Order: sequence, then C-alpha cells, then structure tokens
Amino acid sequence: MRRITIPRREVVGWAVAAFAAAVIPFTIPVVAKMTPPSTNHIVEIQNFVFSPATLKVKVGDRITWINKDIVPHTATAHDKSWDTGNLKPNDRGTVTVTKDMFAGYFCRFHPSMKAKIDVQ
Amino acid sequence: MMKIRNLIAITGIALMASITGAQANDPAKLNDLQIAHVAYTADNIDIRYAHLALAISTNPKIHEFARTMIRDHTAVNEQALALLKKLKANPQDNILSKQLTANSHKLVDKMSKLRGKAFDRFYAKNELGYHKAVNNLVANAFIPNIENAEVKSLFKAGLKIFKVHEHHAAMMVKGLK
Repeated sequence: MRRITIPRREVVGWAVAAFAAAVIPFTIPVVAKMTPPSTNHIVEIQNFVFSPATLKVKVGDRITWINKDIVPHTATAHDKSWDTGNLKPNDRGTVTVTKDMFAGYFCRFHPSMKAKIDVQ
Repeated sequence: MMKIRNLIAITGIALMASITGAQANDPAKLNDLQIAHVAYTADNIDIRYAHLALAISTNPKIHEFARTMIRDHTAVNEQALALLKKLKANPQDNILSKQLTANSHKLVDKMSKLRGKAFDRFYAKNELGYHKAVNNLVANAFIPNIENAEVKSLFKAGLKIFKVHEHHAAMMVKGLK
C-alpha cells in the first residue's frame, strides 16, 4: 500500500483552521463587548447657545454640530486643537472623538458662546 | 421714548442725540418698511466701521471682532432683504435713516485720523455705545410697534445677535484699558 504523506505545512494549516473554527465563535462576542459601536451625537447651535452645554461621549464617537442660527458659528477647542470650521446657517460640522481631545470649546466668532465635551 | 432719552443721558452718544432730535418725529411711529430701512442702514454703518477697523488697526482682537461684525450684519441684512422680497415690499428711506448715515460720516472722518491704541480704544468704545443705543431702539421703539409677524420675528432674532455683539464689545473695551 502506498503511503500518503501530507506536507507538514498543510497539517499546521488545518490545525490552525480547526482551532480558529472552534474558538472564533466564542471570541467574537467578547471582542464586540470590548469595543462597543461608536455613537453619533448632535449638538444644536441656536440663539447663540450650544445644546447640550455638556456632551458625554466616548473615544471613537462622532459629534455633529448643526447651526440653526441666521449667522455663522464655529465649534473650536479652547487650545485650537480641533475646529469644525465656519458653519453657515443650516451647515453641519463633524468631529471624531479622540482619547486626548480637548474638552472645552467655544465659537471663534462669538467668544462668549462656550460648552464642553466630557470624554468618558 | 423715555427709555431712549435715558440712554442718551447715560451714554452721551451724539448718534442717539440726533436720533431723538430728528424724532420729535417719534421712532416708535415709523411704519414697518421705515423700520426695516433704519435697521438695514444701521447694519451697513457697522459694516463700514468694521472695514475701517480692518484697514487701520493692527490688533488681532479688533480684527476678529470687526470680521464678526461684517459676517453677522451681512447675514442679517441678507435675511431682511429676502423677507422683504418675499413680502414684495421695499424699505422706505426716512429721517432717522438719514440722521444715522450723516452721523456715521462724521464718525468715520474722526476715526480715520486715529492710529494705534487711540484708534482701537475709540473703535471699541464706539461699538459698545452703538450696539447699546441701537439695541435699545430695537427693543423699546421698534419691536413693540412692528405689525408684520415675520418682520417682528426677524427683529427679535437680530436683537439676540446684537446683544451678543454688545457683550463682545464690552469685553473688548475692558481688554483695552
């Protein structure tokens, strides 16, 4: 009888595939639990007020500012590290939350308008 | 009118003095289209002051404020013109608009001769006084007497904006002392 030899590389490949098939179904839910999906938050700008004044977010979330006033505004970090740029009436500007994102922000055009982001 | 007269006593602004002088003619008796003309004129005057500030001042905070005045007053004027177009109406020139314009010419002549901190202080102080005076006029003489609901609503929105400008100007004056 002729002996069938299986190359060692293939054996290792099957072993890895079998292990993955057995383990991955159990692993995926764990991974999903560790990195929850990101959330889209809305901050409205109306009557020269950011609403909400404090927004709770987590890293990876997206924040969208909507300008509902009749004049342009911005949402700009106090240290200028992030900025939506000029938001004309009805414009939207989005920023993704990062770990070291500067929390306090204001409108560059109207410095009395202030609010903050609370990164959890 | 009483409140407007009190404001003149407090601020001593020539602009307001001439407004009342002209308005033994009462600003509260202007019709909606005349009020719209006064507001449009007042917006354009402040835009003119802002352009002067950008040309003369070297202070970044004055520039930032001036650019905001141009941006915001232009936006409000665009809204006002769009509304008048919708209403198929034209603003009506009147004695108050003429007085505002005449005073602004004198003030531009005066400011044009100033340089450095003297200009910055004058501009900031004038912006504070101008917004205070016009806001008072809008709140006490115009808004209570405007008949058209949409025009009234636009004036209410404008007043909120110009109160923010007044606060901004006050901060600027404080910072230049």
